[in-house]
Amino acid sequence: MANVRFENITIKYGNHTVLSNFSLEVESGQIMCLVGPSGCGKTTLVRALLGLVKPETGTITVGDRCLFDAAKRVNVPAEKRNIGIVFQDYAVWPHMTVIENVSYPLKKQRRPKSEIRQRAMHVLEQVHMVDYINHLPGQLSGGQQQRVAIGRALVTNSDVVVLDEPITNLDAKLREEMLIEIRMIQQRLGATILYVTHDQHSALQLCDKMAIMRQDGSLSQYGTDEDIILRPADRFTFEFIGVSNFIPITRQGNELYLDCGELIPYPGLPADSEGKEMGVRLNDVVFDHDSPVKAKVISRVFLGSENSYFLKLGERDIRVQQSMLDARTLGTVEEGETIGLRFLNPHFYSKKEANPA
Amino acid sequence: MNRNMNADLAAVDGRRRLNMDKLLTIICFVLLFIIVIIPIFMIIYNAFFFEGTFSIDLFKEQLTADKNLSAMWNTLKIALFATILGTIMGVFYAWLLGRSDIPAKGLMRALFNIPYMFPPFLGAMAWDLLLNGRSGYLNRFLMTTFGLSKMPFNINSIAGIVFVEVSYYFPFVFLQVVSALERMDPTLEESARIAGAKQGTVIRRITLPLVKPAISAGALLILTTSLAHFGVPSILGYAQGIYTLPTRIYAVIYNSGGSFEGIRQGAALSVMLVAVVALALVLQNKILSTGNYDIIKGKSMRPTLIKLRGAKAPLFLVAIFTLILIVFVPLVMIVLISFIKAYGLPLTPGNFTIAQYLKVFKAGGTLDSIKNSLIVSITAGVVCMFLGTLVAYVVQKIKPKGKEALEVISVLPYSIPGTVLSIGVILAWSGNLGITLYNTLWIILVAYMARYLSFSMKTSSAALLQVHSSLEEAARVCGASHSESLADITLPLIRPAMVSGFFLIFLPAMREVTTSILLYGPYTRTLGVQIYSLRDAGMIPQAAALATVAIGLIIILNAIVTQITKDRKGV
Repeated sequence: MANVRFENITIKYGNHTVLSNFSLEVESGQIMCLVGPSGCGKTTLVRALLGLVKPETGTITVGDRCLFDAAKRVNVPAEKRNIGIVFQDYAVWPHMTVIENVSYPLKKQRRPKSEIRQRAMHVLEQVHMVDYINHLPGQLSGGQQQRVAIGRALVTNSDVVVLDEPITNLDAKLREEMLIEIRMIQQRLGATILYVTHDQHSALQLCDKMAIMRQDGSLSQYGTDEDIILRPADRFTFEFIGVSNFIPITRQGNELYLDCGELIPYPGLPADSEGKEMGVRLNDVVFDHDSPVKAKVISRVFLGSENSYFLKLGERDIRVQQSMLDARTLGTVEEGETIGLRFLNPHFYSKKEANPA
Repeated sequence: MNRNMNADLAAVDGRRRLNMDKLLTIICFVLLFIIVIIPIFMIIYNAFFFEGTFSIDLFKEQLTADKNLSAMWNTLKIALFATILGTIMGVFYAWLLGRSDIPAKGLMRALFNIPYMFPPFLGAMAWDLLLNGRSGYLNRFLMTTFGLSKMPFNINSIAGIVFVEVSYYFPFVFLQVVSALERMDPTLEESARIAGAKQGTVIRRITLPLVKPAISAGALLILTTSLAHFGVPSILGYAQGIYTLPTRIYAVIYNSGGSFEGIRQGAALSVMLVAVVALALVLQNKILSTGNYDIIKGKSMRPTLIKLRGAKAPLFLVAIFTLILIVFVPLVMIVLISFIKAYGLPLTPGNFTIAQYLKVFKAGGTLDSIKNSLIVSITAGVVCMFLGTLVAYVVQKIKPKGKEALEVISVLPYSIPGTVLSIGVILAWSGNLGITLYNTLWIILVAYMARYLSFSMKTSSAALLQVHSSLEEAARVCGASHSESLADITLPLIRPAMVSGFFLIFLPAMREVTTSILLYGPYTRTLGVQIYSLRDAGMIPQAAALATVAIGLIIILNAIVTQITKDRKGV
């Protein structure tokens, strides 16, 4: 087991700075999800860890082993870093059979043949690919290729395994299965896993800790999934991790109002929220007949496990998700009805700049 | 494991990895410098410098000589007509075989490919035998049959040269356009029909503009090949004193007995020829410049076929006639002449013998020439296969500064005429720089390498583009060193492309005559040179016998290649 530490990593492609003084730690034996919008530098960070990109500054250590140190001119070549990786496009070698693919890392470690075979078969069992050992990747489905890639990443029992968007190309059901599979494999092996994705749903399902990256490559928040969801560090994380309603707040006289074209009073707005926007998640908007804030129901869509509402509050569109449990206890409302709203767990953020990232 | 690795060792290792890329890049530049840059530089230097001082006199003298001017004029005329006629013919047959419901398509397509692999100078030889203005077999037959007072045709003319070149070069356009037509989305034409356009309008307004890039690419190939072509004009034009720039260069050097002065004059003429080719390229670009259309997709589709109805039978006959004329007649003629007792005798069974074959193979030079051609072609093929792949790898994967230059340098020799390249090679490797390869097989090998390098470079390049970099990176992360990942992953994946690159070089090198005609020595004749000199020496039946052997060899080799490339597994 080993932790992974990035310290003050700066990476440039030509004049374009991808990461600037970036620091992050993946704790030993945990699954950490690195989440951020496409193009924010997640994959670049992974490539630096693998030794495929050379940072300008900083250090990268795994456990007590220094892999990269710009100041001390240490740069362990990729093949000596012993990190398992599943690339986004699988990178399963098309001219090798499944078992050849999985055996390759062991072959490069010059293991005895019998051991290679035994360990390769063992890992193929874990990813449920034993029946396909002599297939070429061209004969496999995307999901099967992915599992070969995962097997190849796990076969050397690396302390650290990196999964770079490993399931984005799978269909929904297989995606679910693979997430559970990854979780179980991690528990068996106790490896440290760095899971990179732009999809916050799979991240939430999998992770022990989460790190959210902004578009500009800086770290927005690092914490448990609960931290991130309930106590988002800033507006970026709040918006990135889920869909929300935003309602501006203005002062008239001594009172604070929700500005929805018309001013709607809402008791309990904090004093310092003037001029800010109130962000509320879709499932944090609950129906409350006693609330003075009345909205009109435009439409209701039944989604199986929840109801999705479009409401009009003043001139503002409000979206609400109502769980089936709430629907049963509080009842549903239909198109054209008026309903009182209460906002749970509101967050107050400054207004967005004209051209947000 | 390896956790307590010494940090310094790791650092050293890290630097060594960088150096392998650098090493490959340096090797690339050095080899290309030796093979390509030095010969080209030597031509330019010798055309403009004399004994170390700049002098434009030689160049002026050559440029204003009447013989050279008429050669230049002939070159342009032949190339222009060959390009126009070849393009029309190529497009017409591409459309006929690609889009109409003409019968026996598969067979005809295969037959239309034959001129592509057949050496044009053998075709010129055959037509010379048939339609020679003084003694052609067909000419004499027509004279006696119709009681004409003079020979009806004269192949030893500009028109004759154009005719033979067209029949061998139209496949350039044909192949390009046929494949473009096949890859074109049929819905584009169908929507035009649905919108109310007539069949003719669709062809004119939709189909032709869409395949225009393919047409212009093929036409460009005809133009540059014809400008640089040696074989056909030399066989058909010599007797009548019709020279083109390439044959004029050969004549200048041949007449001077290989003296330095002659080679210098050749160098000056070479600069002229290169200028003409460059001018043609620029003009072509101006006239035919069009955007590329993405509408032509990589995947294959089944286009709707156009019904010829009443025109079917006549068009079919035209196609058959064309095939007989350009494929069978020359082939049959060469074979027949190879069995004749003496040139000029009528083609009756009584005059047939296999003595010519025995004579040819008894003569010492013949087997040697076949051996020489095999050695040089195989060596050039193998060396270029690796060197071309190396250049492709550096350009595609390492991407050093100056990769564009690398690309241009490796393609450069193919766009300059073979004759010119030979002169550069002579100037570079016959003692001027302290190395003498003249009269050895090596000098031919060096010229072939320069000439054909771009073939393997292009095929390997295309294959490498398909190999996503993550495949090699995955190997690195799995513990393979840079060289191991190359050997285990990249090379196996592009091996099929490398093999076809080899054959792309080996086959044309086997039948090549343009380059080696200036480079051969007493013991280093190639197959092409041997046929050419047998014919030059008047031993026409023997030349035909050897040509028949060469054609047989080419057909067998082609069959083997087709078999090999068919069997290879798609990756």
